[in-house]
Amino acid sequence: MALQVEERTTIRKVDYNLALVVLALNLIGLINLYSATHGPNSKGMNGLFWSQIIFMCIGWIAYAAGTFIDYRIFIRLAYPFYGINLCLLFLVTIIGKTTLGAQRSFALGPIHLQPSETMKVVLVFVLARYFYNQARPEGYRLKELIVPALLVLIPAVFIIKQPDLGTGLLLVAVSATMFLFVKIQNRVLVGATILICLAVPLGWKFSFKEYQKNRILTFMNPARDPRGAGYNSIQSKIAVGSGRIFGKGFRKGSQGQLEFLPERHTDFIFSVLSEEHGFVGSMTTLSLFGLLFLMGVRIASQSKDKFGALMVVGSMSILFWHMFINVGMTTGILPIVGIPLPLISYGGSNLLPTMLSLGIVSSVSLRRFLF
Amino acid sequence: MNAYNDWIENSDDVKEYQERYSYLYGIILVVFLILFGRLWFLQIIKGSEFKRFSEQNQIKEERNPAPRGMVLDRNGQILVDSLPTFNVTLTPQYTVNLEKTALELAPILSLNKDEIVEKVKTSRKQNGVFKPVRIKENINRDEVAKIEAVKIDIQGLNVEMGIKRNYLLGENGAQLFGYTGEISREELPVLNSGRNEDNKLRAGDIIGKSGLEKRTDTELRGIDGAQFVEVDARGRGVQAGRDLITGGFPDEVDSVPGRNITLTIDKDLQQVAYESMLKNKRIGSVVALNPANGEILAMVNAPSFDPNHFSTGIPTDIWAELVNDPFKPLRNKVIQDHFSPGSTFKAIVAIAALSEKIITPSSTYFCPGFLKYGRRPYHCWMKHGHGAVNIYQALERSCDVFFYHLGLELGIDRIAKYARRLGLGIRTGINLDNERGGLIPDSEWKKKTLGEEWQGGENLSNAIGQGFILVTPLQLAQAYGAIGTEGLLYRPFVVKKIVDADGHARQEFNPVLAHDAKVREATDDVIIAPETFEIVKKALTLVFSGDHGTGHYYRIPGLDMGGKTGTVQLFQFTAESVFAKCESRELKQRNNGWMAAFAPEKDPKIAVAVHAEHGCHGTAAGPVIHDVIYAYLKKYYPDTIAEAEKSKTKKKVVVPKPVETTNEETDE
Repeated sequence: MALQVEERTTIRKVDYNLALVVLALNLIGLINLYSATHGPNSKGMNGLFWSQIIFMCIGWIAYAAGTFIDYRIFIRLAYPFYGINLCLLFLVTIIGKTTLGAQRSFALGPIHLQPSETMKVVLVFVLARYFYNQARPEGYRLKELIVPALLVLIPAVFIIKQPDLGTGLLLVAVSATMFLFVKIQNRVLVGATILICLAVPLGWKFSFKEYQKNRILTFMNPARDPRGAGYNSIQSKIAVGSGRIFGKGFRKGSQGQLEFLPERHTDFIFSVLSEEHGFVGSMTTLSLFGLLFLMGVRIASQSKDKFGALMVVGSMSILFWHMFINVGMTTGILPIVGIPLPLISYGGSNLLPTMLSLGIVSSVSLRRFLF
Repeated sequence: MNAYNDWIENSDDVKEYQERYSYLYGIILVVFLILFGRLWFLQIIKGSEFKRFSEQNQIKEERNPAPRGMVLDRNGQILVDSLPTFNVTLTPQYTVNLEKTALELAPILSLNKDEIVEKVKTSRKQNGVFKPVRIKENINRDEVAKIEAVKIDIQGLNVEMGIKRNYLLGENGAQLFGYTGEISREELPVLNSGRNEDNKLRAGDIIGKSGLEKRTDTELRGIDGAQFVEVDARGRGVQAGRDLITGGFPDEVDSVPGRNITLTIDKDLQQVAYESMLKNKRIGSVVALNPANGEILAMVNAPSFDPNHFSTGIPTDIWAELVNDPFKPLRNKVIQDHFSPGSTFKAIVAIAALSEKIITPSSTYFCPGFLKYGRRPYHCWMKHGHGAVNIYQALERSCDVFFYHLGLELGIDRIAKYARRLGLGIRTGINLDNERGGLIPDSEWKKKTLGEEWQGGENLSNAIGQGFILVTPLQLAQAYGAIGTEGLLYRPFVVKKIVDADGHARQEFNPVLAHDAKVREATDDVIIAPETFEIVKKALTLVFSGDHGTGHYYRIPGLDMGGKTGTVQLFQFTAESVFAKCESRELKQRNNGWMAAFAPEKDPKIAVAVHAEHGCHGTAAGPVIHDVIYAYLKKYYPDTIAEAEKSKTKKKVVVPKPVETTNEETDE
């Protein structure tokens, strides 16, 4: 009986507020992408705007699919997905196409599959599944954390070696959020903190590539590398600041239009936004993100099972850390790492997994009414 | 329904998380406040400062292009260098009154006012208002001074510095040196794939597009520097407020100049060769090399183009003209095209026949003017025949019938072995791009590619260098050099040295002896005895010194040199039209002429191949061969020339009339 009732009212129970906020962010993204790709010297980039519209359409299909699929199916699919994704990640280092000097994506005809992007979503699946199956209200012990830690570290090491330090660390940040959320024992927490403090200098010495070190050193002292990351950081700050309260106007930002801003359609899209639409525009965008996160936490708290709650917390933390790191780097409070602003930056390989995981959040929201 | 039962069972469990959500709300709030604070600081508190900075004080990274390396000839004479140029630009965004500005600028730049307005308007439509429009390129110093004087009053006006590649020889050698141009969007990812982050090319960079400019681009280009200039967008320098944002920037990163490339080319010889082609109105290519080490001394193609036009962008009409030119001026035909060798191939057939003991120096064949094979008569170019000829006379007079016989006796497979031994049909491995390999056919090749058996008649045509055989001019020069040096095949090379800007040699290229035809090699069982070379060399000398020699008119009196002419029929003609006057045909239907030679006969210093497309006769290449050999020996071996001139007066050789005028056709 419950099933029939659910069938009839499914459409009405969809969380339209959530969809509306996502759509609003999509549109803000398109407006800025148009500006960023139609500068005086960016004739060749005009087409990116249209590809992004296509990505968005596909993204919304993924969102709808995620909404109407019962998210509990991922309890069963989590490990197979993870296995496949890990294989792809492994393969990409061997046959992957070289973009920007790093092995990141597969060329499957016109589509560039980027396993590190899908890995973020799939990792949330497996962690949610693991913690869902093993409830420990008093906190997880070290023994029980070995498996999830490995689940995180194996792909993270691969991605850092690609080398894509930003995405690798993001993976760690997302998992850390989930670990802390499910609660781990205090002594394990203290031990892990000490271990990380020891590991960082060692990793710095042996495992970071020269340019990765440079970026971080440059963040501390922009004059160190005026041609590379330091220049970018400074130009981005100028762009953001010069927008003042109301901005310079659509397509009138000199920093963006005159190409002082690097990668302005991807990593530095927020600078274009802040320059052209000022404090009002950037705060509107940040508020929409804030609203999205608050809705996410609410959906998680209303979930009828732990798996759903964990899926939402994980998916939201992916978005959250992306947003924080990206806005942080464009406003000069974090080092420049190649992390896009979700829903706003150009690029299908980031947008599609994001839309799918938002669809799953929407699915959890839909199914909280089940009783 | 099971799933839903699970759900109900687990629903208690989910309460475990309830009190933790407040932490999440907390984190979101904190991050939101941090970003809010940061944006408040940047946009509200410091906003006006940044705004001023972005509008007036822009730190723009201006690239200091590294000076591109020079290309020098073997004696250090400059062949290609770079010159600074100045271009006037106008940025539409800052131009207050375009009509008025154009009116002011027109007399200074000796341009038409409407022309300027038109240019700016077109660019504004295409590229937007921020893109500076080049009003005039390559302005002179006077104009620079005048523009600088009015710059302060005309907003948006600027003088931009660029570098122009300067090819001192102009059209000569354009295919060898190549040209430069702005990197294209398609080239960017391809060329960057192997480069690390600091070294990446960017849009707008100038790269070598063809020839040596492309081949040695990484050596020539150096590393660009950068200058951090603060200018307002209207081009005026401003100093204030900089430390606020940058915390102190270095002003400049020095560029590393490109390396200089020293070639094996001799500038004077290159000029002699090209001028000789022009003077004689020839289409085709010339290559001269030193057979004793493989150094290329001259490499010329005609018609040609002036790469100086290309260094600041190619006008589309000129480009279209060059691409559509039937004589392919953009191509280095010395290595990138291959042709039938015609009678120049007879020397190789002679070597094969002597080595395989088919003939001795005294064997003769009778030439009645044709040889009947099957039902078809194969004609000799000399309608009435040469009579009984031996190897010396056959090569001297280029008797076709003699070589028809050799072709029949040898068969293509044996000919092919000797041809390959002398480097034909195989890429020479010269350090230039897109070299062609030519083609030496054999029966196996024909079966594989055409699926047909080798026909006996084809032995005849291929023995006189017609048919399937294709050679590049470079291969032919190398083969004749090998005959002259009695078997030495050095790998031809054109880049001799790569030198750092401070004078340190970074890389030096030494001669490589690729093969010695006198020595048996593991890969084939062909060896050519020194006696064989001697006989053929003597016969080839008669081509110039003999009274009936086809190259007699172009000899250097008193000097022993060997060589061979060749004429290649491009179309099948009827029996009468074969003997009709070649010059009466359309240019495209005229025969190709070849001449290859080495000099002096003993211990050759130079080997030359000249291909005169549609020159009608092999002798069309003769004057160029003569000029190149004479000029080279005169410059480097004046004693040899002096001796030759002395012995000439002693011998008092009567200069006979040129072969061309006594016979309507030289060799077939």
